[in-house]
Amino acid sequence: MRLLIIEDDPLLLHSLREGLQEERYATDTAMDGVDGLAMAREIDFDAIVLDGMLPGIDGWELLRQLRETKTTPVLMLTARDAVPDRIRGLDAGADDYLTKPFDFDELLARLRALIRRNHGQAKNYLELGDVTLDLATRTLSQTGSPVALTPREYALVEYLGLHRGVVISRTELYEHLFDENDDSLSNLLDVHVSNVRKKLGASFITTRRGHGYSIE
Amino acid sequence: MKRPFHSIRWRLLLWHSLVSLGLVVAVWLLANRLSTRDRMERIDRDLHDHEKSFYRGVFAPKNSSNDKDGPPSLDDIRDRLRSLGNPAIDPPEFRDLFKSDPAGTYIVVWDSDGSSLFTSPNAPAGLTRPTKVRPERSERSVCDRGTLHELHSAHPSGIITVIGRDISTELGALYRFRILLAVGGASILLAAIAGGWWLAGRALKPIHTISQTASRIAAGKLEERIAIPDRDNELDQLAHVLNDTFDRLASGIERQKRFTADASHELRTPLTIILTETQRALRSERDPAQYRQFLENCQTAAQRMRGIVDSLLVLDRHDVGAESRAHRPCDLAEIARGVTDRLAPLAQERGSNLHRQLSPALVGGDPEWLETAVQNLLSNALSHPPAGTSVSVRCGHRGGESYVEVHDEGPGIPQEHLPRLFDRFYRVDRARTQTQGHTGLGLAIVQTIATAHHGRLEVTSNAGQGTTFCLTFPHLPS
Repeated sequence: MRLLIIEDDPLLLHSLREGLQEERYATDTAMDGVDGLAMAREIDFDAIVLDGMLPGIDGWELLRQLRETKTTPVLMLTARDAVPDRIRGLDAGADDYLTKPFDFDELLARLRALIRRNHGQAKNYLELGDVTLDLATRTLSQTGSPVALTPREYALVEYLGLHRGVVISRTELYEHLFDENDDSLSNLLDVHVSNVRKKLGASFITTRRGHGYSIE
Repeated sequence: MKRPFHSIRWRLLLWHSLVSLGLVVAVWLLANRLSTRDRMERIDRDLHDHEKSFYRGVFAPKNSSNDKDGPPSLDDIRDRLRSLGNPAIDPPEFRDLFKSDPAGTYIVVWDSDGSSLFTSPNAPAGLTRPTKVRPERSERSVCDRGTLHELHSAHPSGIITVIGRDISTELGALYRFRILLAVGGASILLAAIAGGWWLAGRALKPIHTISQTASRIAAGKLEERIAIPDRDNELDQLAHVLNDTFDRLASGIERQKRFTADASHELRTPLTIILTETQRALRSERDPAQYRQFLENCQTAAQRMRGIVDSLLVLDRHDVGAESRAHRPCDLAEIARGVTDRLAPLAQERGSNLHRQLSPALVGGDPEWLETAVQNLLSNALSHPPAGTSVSVRCGHRGGESYVEVHDEGPGIPQEHLPRLFDRFYRVDRARTQTQGHTGLGLAIVQTIATAHHGRLEVTSNAGQGTTFCLTFPHLPS
């Protein structure tokens, strides 16, 4: 899953990026409204964490402009807990909000729920044949016994699982699993796919040559 | 109106009613007295006229028959009186004087020895010779017996004349007049009370409006104002004064609210950093270098919070204690020298050339505060423009004012930021300055100090020509 964090405080931005990367999210960052809007328009993020008070264009205005073209789920961070601010954010198109200071765990839970709902998934786990994905703990088990996956492998399975039955192009997978800092020119994706097949069975991920991958 | 008699309207009405009542009663008494006296005087005059025409009637025929000049003698009078009542002698108009009408005027005359000389036919029964009238004083006295009103007069010879009549008609009329007067007075009083109540209510209505508006404002509707009609009476002036006060209070509260919101906003971000960093650190086992990084981030955030809290306290003290601090003469040159000496290491570290051009500039003020102001300006000049920028500090006096100015040759501050530059928590370059521990309160503090010293803070900035902050105070002659 690929996230965009738009936050003007460098230390908080750093902290959030590190924290989310540890949670196996591919994470891009922007420090002002103009950059943030440009990135959000260009790339299909799975979710955006947006601070309200930003230099350039503020968070509410950014949301309004973004919503003209994109439906990316947005979680707003507001430093004011005044009700009008929250209402303004939700009305401008935010899907959820958190008031600073927030608990990091809560931010994670809300992001998971946001992404899950965006894929029409109401439950907190995915059943793909004999494989079960727990979206909350980010673990995977096959016929009841846990299977250890690396963060990237898990992210790959989760993304394909949330789009079950749909063929996902390599480009899209690159876009959602790697951020700007990752080296996407290598054949890293093929390595991850073959590793997952080794662990869960060759038929778990289907290859459509020339199109991409899918989980049936 | 919980306690009616404590309300101004009721008290006004009470006093108004008392005064009106007093006036009405006084007028009633006066009118009553005057009309009674007038009526009685008229009766007395009638009776007197009657008596005169009676005696003229008694003596007129005799005088004409005897052709004798001079006043008649006492015996003539007695004889004449005794012989009255004889229709043959009496003139006809004289007879008409005493019709047997009970309401008519009657005359009784007694001789000095008590014997009756004349009694008119309509005289009431049981009349006796009055003893009060003393013959030697020859006076006329008024005597009321029941509804009978009589005049008693005595001749020096001892002859006493009583002339009287029944005045029950007059008394009745007088009584009716009094009742009429009382009813009229009462109606006027009632009308006056009602009018007073209406007038008092009308006069006090603006006060009611004012108090209602004031209580709505007290309940939190700070934008409400008293509606003032376009008259310039005392209450409207009061309303104007109150509206001005409300304006000032509301803007003060608004400022306070915004400040609190800004302050809490500023504190929330570092607090979030501390929370996020500690929670991240505790999620899994890490190596010592990583823990070190978490702790450093927490420390940075906590230091930033300390900076904000310190600055807020400084601002608060300056806001509250601006007038109470003792001002004494101090030289801006001395203060600027101390500050530049202290910040020289920072200038060196940043590779900035620090020039100073200090001539004496005396002002009255608090040296500690003035030092804070100069230090904030200089440390801004040393840290905001790029490293290596030349900074100069100048002070002196011109045109009755002392000034100290800090000039940097940096790229200048974009014009759009200038109007809000002194606002609390306003930052031109948030991202960069926050990490360096700038709270966005430095210039706000400088401005507060300037205002407390009756001075002002000005900034001029042009792209490519650097920025000048100038603090100006009234000059203190040495």
